[in-house]
Amino acid sequence: MPPWSNFEPFIVSGLALGGVYALSGVGLVVLYRATGVLYLAFGAVGALGALIAWSLTTEAGAPGWAGWLVCIAVAGVVTLGYGLLFGPALARRDPLIKAVATIGLTLILYGVMDLLWTTSGGQARSLSLPTDNGGFTVAQIQVTWTQVIALAAGVVLTVGTGAFLRFTKLGTAMRAMANDRDITATLGVPVRKVEAAAWLGCGILGGIAGLLLADLVALDATTLTFLVISSLAAVLIARLRSITVTFVAAIVIGLLHDLLTPIASLTSYRDMTPFVIAAIGLLVLSRHQVMTQSREEA
Amino acid sequence: MRRNNAARRTILLAAALALAAAGCSSSSSSSGATGSTPAAGSSSSAGAATVDTSSCGSKPGVKATGTPIPLGAIATNQPGTSFTDIPNMAKAYFDCVNANGGINGHPIKLYIATEQTNPAQIAADAKQLVQTDKVVGIVGNTSIIECSINSSYWQKLGFYVIDSGIAPECYSTPNSAAVNMGPRYSSDGAVQYALAQHVSKVVFDQANVPGTGYIAAGPNALAKAANVPIVDLTENVPITDANSVAIKEVNDAGPNGAVILNFTPPQALVILQAAQKLGLEDRVKLWGCSTPCNTDFLAQSLGPKWNGKLFVNAELAPPDDTNTTSMNLYKAILKQYGSSVQGGIGSFSQMGFTEAEIAVHALQSITGPYTVQSVNAAFKAVKDFNTGMLCQLWTYGDYPLHIPNNSDWTVTPKDGKMTTAQGCTLISKVDPQIAQYRSVAGTAAYAPAGS
Repeated sequence: MPPWSNFEPFIVSGLALGGVYALSGVGLVVLYRATGVLYLAFGAVGALGALIAWSLTTEAGAPGWAGWLVCIAVAGVVTLGYGLLFGPALARRDPLIKAVATIGLTLILYGVMDLLWTTSGGQARSLSLPTDNGGFTVAQIQVTWTQVIALAAGVVLTVGTGAFLRFTKLGTAMRAMANDRDITATLGVPVRKVEAAAWLGCGILGGIAGLLLADLVALDATTLTFLVISSLAAVLIARLRSITVTFVAAIVIGLLHDLLTPIASLTSYRDMTPFVIAAIGLLVLSRHQVMTQSREEA
Repeated sequence: MRRNNAARRTILLAAALALAAAGCSSSSSSSGATGSTPAAGSSSSAGAATVDTSSCGSKPGVKATGTPIPLGAIATNQPGTSFTDIPNMAKAYFDCVNANGGINGHPIKLYIATEQTNPAQIAADAKQLVQTDKVVGIVGNTSIIECSINSSYWQKLGFYVIDSGIAPECYSTPNSAAVNMGPRYSSDGAVQYALAQHVSKVVFDQANVPGTGYIAAGPNALAKAANVPIVDLTENVPITDANSVAIKEVNDAGPNGAVILNFTPPQALVILQAAQKLGLEDRVKLWGCSTPCNTDFLAQSLGPKWNGKLFVNAELAPPDDTNTTSMNLYKAILKQYGSSVQGGIGSFSQMGFTEAEIAVHALQSITGPYTVQSVNAAFKAVKDFNTGMLCQLWTYGDYPLHIPNNSDWTVTPKDGKMTTAQGCTLISKVDPQIAQYRSVAGTAAYAPAGS
């Protein structure tokens, strides 16, 4: 076992990785709680926005802020468009079908990105935010403000959306609609408008996450599109209910993942961390559920 | 409420299934983003060339109208990994030749088959080229596993393939000769440069794909011969934890050590940028990379902090620093005929150009009909051909293995471009494969300067 000092830098990098997982995971839970849809295209719309931002700033010479706004807007518009076009048709379908339909959107967006931002000539792209240039040093490694913002964004998102869903009229309508669309409609809630707001909000979150993840992880269609899969581990542990549990689970997964890195015998297996933790989490939770049910039946 | 719980259980099941599928997705991405790729492209534009392309053919301005000579190529083309630029550039060269006399009046027709790392599909592609398209030669193959799948098929039919190699069989069999060095020998070159700078330790990190042991054997042999400890690492790709990867590499290498990467440009960029953001770029003596990093895209993305800090193996002449007849002809053909070459100037298209010019050189030596026998005999007979793109003269020959390109440049980023840090240097014969090749084929002479 390496000395403790060897682990210190990995605590910092693990928190940053956890923040990355949290950004996607929290976004997924927010939309699920608002619409009842597990939006697996969350990473793809962010990637699309980030690549467009890269083209605008690098190739067309647009200012950085314009690229960031376009990134967020593109992700919002694509998600809203999908929601308006397919949301009503899928509203009464099984949740599994709704989730699979978003895989369709994922694959379409992924194909478009692979076509427009090809890597066939060995192209490598990057998107840097000004916050990369400043920061502070912890455990002998530099922490950029972007990493701090990503972690803070996860916290703000967790608290903010939790409060929004709980305390605002629109948030309450979203939760009601996710529970039962028909009953909510009969109560006079404009379900189409509420649904549209949820899709747009989720898309905007996807755009913000895409922008930060393009800087923190990689500006690469494959990486960003499928990063959401690792975040699903945190979502599963939270059982698609709790935004707070999603956030905490994501941070724990990120930390454990990176703390395994300096251990030679385990380092090759560290990428299994999200899936192992999700499996253990589900087993423990289902055991707890069985025991609770048994007690109730008794 | 019960309905709601049932729905939630269903969606949790869906999420779990998606999570399970992540393994598949991740592994397919891994093969997609293999570190075993040939060299990557550069972003330079082709606008500077002013050479008349008609010099590519024997009869300038005379279009070839005879019976076409059918040639074939198989290239990987899947999301995240596409090598089609290589056969597409070979086709651009053939188009130029066809517009300027062809091969004794015969145009060359190149059939390009693509594959998605599916062995059955790759075998079927080969059969289609041979049985349906009736190709008489294979030029421009670039695939992650094609050499492994079709090697025995080509041997059985008597085809002598001119390709860009990735899999070990591209270099270790009698019927394949590549214009590039491939991941193992390119990594050798990067490690060799680091050892020459007297580093005290080498960390060799590559993508976790099939064949990592074969690739690492070369760098390990070089480090062992120099009595320098070496640490072999592999990373699952695409890399999502670049920070921890960079920290681990730097910690393992130490302040007087070297970190050598063997990844595709996007993955290498992710690691190098993470190192830069963490302030780790100066914590080791030098960073090195096999040929895929030789791209201006990378140099531009990294910025000036890496000037003279990162040293990249270059298997083909650096386009930005080279002003020779061949390089200018390549740029001119790319500009006039290479509309389908997406990466523009760079190692991928340079490889396609080089393979095509070798093939044309061989075809021009045939006096009779263009058959499988005559064409492949001509390919095999190519000896000491000056491609203008490689350090050495290129030879096919009748050998049990072929590593005809075994001398390289080293380049380093400088203000957004890759510039030459070290001229042509032979890959050390400490690598037993290089030693074996030189024992049967000798050491090829260096190409004359300015050609």
